[in-house]
Amino acid sequence: MAGYLALAVILVPWLGALAVWWAGDERRLAQHALAIVFALVTAVLSLMLLPVVSAQVVLSLSAGASFGTFTFVLDGLGVFLAIIAATIGTLAVIFSVDYMAGEAQLGRYYSLILLFIGAMIGLVLTGSLLLLFFFWEITAFCSYALISFHNDDPKAVSGGIRALIVTQVGGVGLLAGALAIYSVLGSFQIGGFLDQAEALPPGMLRWMAFGFLLAAAAKSAQVPFHTWLPDAMEAPTPVTALIHAATMVNAGVYLLARFYPAFAPVGGWKVAVVTVGVVSAVLAAVMGLVAVDIKRVLAYSTISQLGYMVYAIGVGGVFASQFHLMSHAVYKALLFLGAGAVAHIIGTRDMRQMGGLGREMPFVRAVFLVGALALAGLPVLNGFWSKELVLEAGLGGGPLWAYIAMLLCAGLTALYTFRMVWMVFYGTRRSEGAVHDAPLAMRLSLVVLALGTLTSWVSAGPFGQMLARSLPFHTLDVASTGQIVLTVLMAWPTWLALAIVALGLSAWWWRERLAKFTSRLRFLARAAAGDFGFAWLDEAIVRTAQGTAEKLSLTQTGQLNWNVLGVVAGLVVVLVFLIWRA
Amino acid sequence: MIPFPLIIVLIAVLGLLGVGLYGLLAVRNLIKIVIALQILGKSALLALIAAGRASGQVNLGQSLALTFIVADTVVAAIGLALAVRVRRRLGTLDARELGKLRG
Amino acid sequence: MQILIGCLALGMLVCAVMAIRANRLVVSSLWLAALSALLAVLIYAMGASRVAVIELSVGAGLVTVLLIFVVGIAGDEATGGKPLIPRAVSWGLGLVALILLGWFTVPLVAPSPPSSQPSLVSLLWKDRALDVLIQVVLIFCGVMGILGLLSEAAVATVAGRRRAAQVPSAGTDSEPVMEEGRAQL
Repeated sequence: MAGYLALAVILVPWLGALAVWWAGDERRLAQHALAIVFALVTAVLSLMLLPVVSAQVVLSLSAGASFGTFTFVLDGLGVFLAIIAATIGTLAVIFSVDYMAGEAQLGRYYSLILLFIGAMIGLVLTGSLLLLFFFWEITAFCSYALISFHNDDPKAVSGGIRALIVTQVGGVGLLAGALAIYSVLGSFQIGGFLDQAEALPPGMLRWMAFGFLLAAAAKSAQVPFHTWLPDAMEAPTPVTALIHAATMVNAGVYLLARFYPAFAPVGGWKVAVVTVGVVSAVLAAVMGLVAVDIKRVLAYSTISQLGYMVYAIGVGGVFASQFHLMSHAVYKALLFLGAGAVAHIIGTRDMRQMGGLGREMPFVRAVFLVGALALAGLPVLNGFWSKELVLEAGLGGGPLWAYIAMLLCAGLTALYTFRMVWMVFYGTRRSEGAVHDAPLAMRLSLVVLALGTLTSWVSAGPFGQMLARSLPFHTLDVASTGQIVLTVLMAWPTWLALAIVALGLSAWWWRERLAKFTSRLRFLARAAAGDFGFAWLDEAIVRTAQGTAEKLSLTQTGQLNWNVLGVVAGLVVVLVFLIWRA
Repeated sequence: MIPFPLIIVLIAVLGLLGVGLYGLLAVRNLIKIVIALQILGKSALLALIAAGRASGQVNLGQSLALTFIVADTVVAAIGLALAVRVRRRLGTLDARELGKLRG
Repeated sequence: MQILIGCLALGMLVCAVMAIRANRLVVSSLWLAALSALLAVLIYAMGASRVAVIELSVGAGLVTVLLIFVVGIAGDEATGGKPLIPRAVSWGLGLVALILLGWFTVPLVAPSPPSSQPSLVSLLWKDRALDVLIQVVLIFCGVMGILGLLSEAAVATVAGRRRAAQVPSAGTDSEPVMEEGRAQL
């Protein structure tokens, strides 16, 4: 029963993708309706997975000797990410009804989104490393196709290709790790690997640990692979909310969390993870402070918060990181959808041309404020609880310099958040033209997400217990929601963090008075606007990949005889190898 | 009973293989390429039967050879249908001409 | 016995070489038919009588007829022209491959006496039932493919396109043909 449920929750969105494509671009209403129905069914099915969470394999399909067994495991880590993917996916699809109201090629859009949802759910529910890699690649493809959705816009196309190439570099790390496991243990099963991790030779385990870190850093847009995410903002906003805030970028964090028990003993790995997280968080926060495109600010904010999650894993707080993942998914999707609503109505994403919109868009302002306060980490909202848990885990289990940096980063977060909210909704009106509030479908998604932001922290206790119950290899310290609330409120680091956040908020409020101070930091602003020079790494990777591809295309002459020559040459190589071996 | 000279058969197999491969490498006309493929197929057929004879299981060799004849014939038929189609649409059967993309 | 086998082998090689070297396609097909016939005799001499008959009828019969039919439709132009790959390369590579193959396989040949074996019919239907099933599927797919390939061929012939291109206006006439062509792809 649980096995069929697992299969259904992956195949239903794929079926939906086929259905939307088959409906054809002439029947737009049918396409909207089909997309919503299939996404909703997927969300319901994913919620039905909650009662059957367990650590056992629920479905196991043999795929031959070389591919191993394709298994599906419904443990807490996977199920909660599947629920996030399905529910936020549904909300993004509902939002798209208004956002993509006049656009062409809806079929391609909805099919790709539904394909992505199914692949993401498959990624987190599978217990076979090969199948995980397979789903990983499908999500990378869908992300590329959706970023380049407006394929007549050269910026969108180049953004998509760059995202694809950089994340594929990470995919190589994942594949190398998977093959290493197979060569030593003879199977691709993740559970088996976590069980026997000590049996691997230490050199190979170290290779795998860092290979997976590479894959996770590329997928989750951590330094030095972070430049693709701001460039991916050319995608339609619901796509950004779903893929680049709530699901695909979390795949890297999921990978680290899943394999943490095996890699934690590897010397230097935890420190590397902490460093990557801290550097990403701080650097991205500074870059978000100077950006003027509203979606870019949110992109940098995503990189920064993902840095928090990676940092939490590095110090051993796996539960804290997953809880922060849950909060972040909800409030970041809210923020992106809100920003999308604003951009859709105003017609530009440049914050210098917005301002004073709060008066005419009270609804969007309200929900955006909820999301922003959660991001900054104000009490009562889910962002506060999860960020405090991360910081406390860091204080307990990690180096002190990292903790201080993350604490200061919390202040920076508050600063850029407040700046963004102010520039868009308050102050003097800088844009002309009529402005109306968000239409119905957008409001629906926004209000659901806002409610989620206000309340999702209540599930901390049951969530932690579900994780502890179903992850046999992880050691997690979990408690009920009430205990967590009490612990957080009583701990002095919480109040320290709140003070820093207040400092950040007030720094914006007093920005004129701080003007002399900030003008001396202008060089930093210029460096931040130029991505701190990391763009060269991104450029180098993309240029190498495209250059090699163009040179290799010369071997594809298209003539039969040359292809046969290749075949015969291959035959000669194989024969030489066999004779030499025999 | 004179032992069956399998060596000669093997040399014939290799020879046919060589001729077939040379045909694939050097021939430009599509239909002739199909003929070269057929020659390759016959060499494989001979090898299968010879292997059956060598191991004593002639019937096993025969059943495999039968399967192969069916597959080979289907391939030849489809290859020739393709050649006809290509000739009608593009006007040429030359491998070099066909390798050029038409905008 | 050995002389017979030797003659057959030599004949087959000669037929193959002539098939590739022949200038006209019809002559090529006839050499192929001769090759099939000699092959059938050789297979019969090795003891596989049923396959010999089938090879004779299919290889020397069916395929030859098919080839001549297609050559009749598609034209029997001179099949000349310089090979695209330099001759030295193809000769060299081919010889290397053959020598390696020979080196690899010749020591493996060690004839053993015929063991007791089930009859061909029972072998085909019981042990190799999957093969038979796949053959049926393959034939079915082949028929579908050929029907698909040959059915629309009458619509957009080369002559039709030439006629359309001669019409001065580029707007209406050539476009329908182009649309059809695209639809067929």
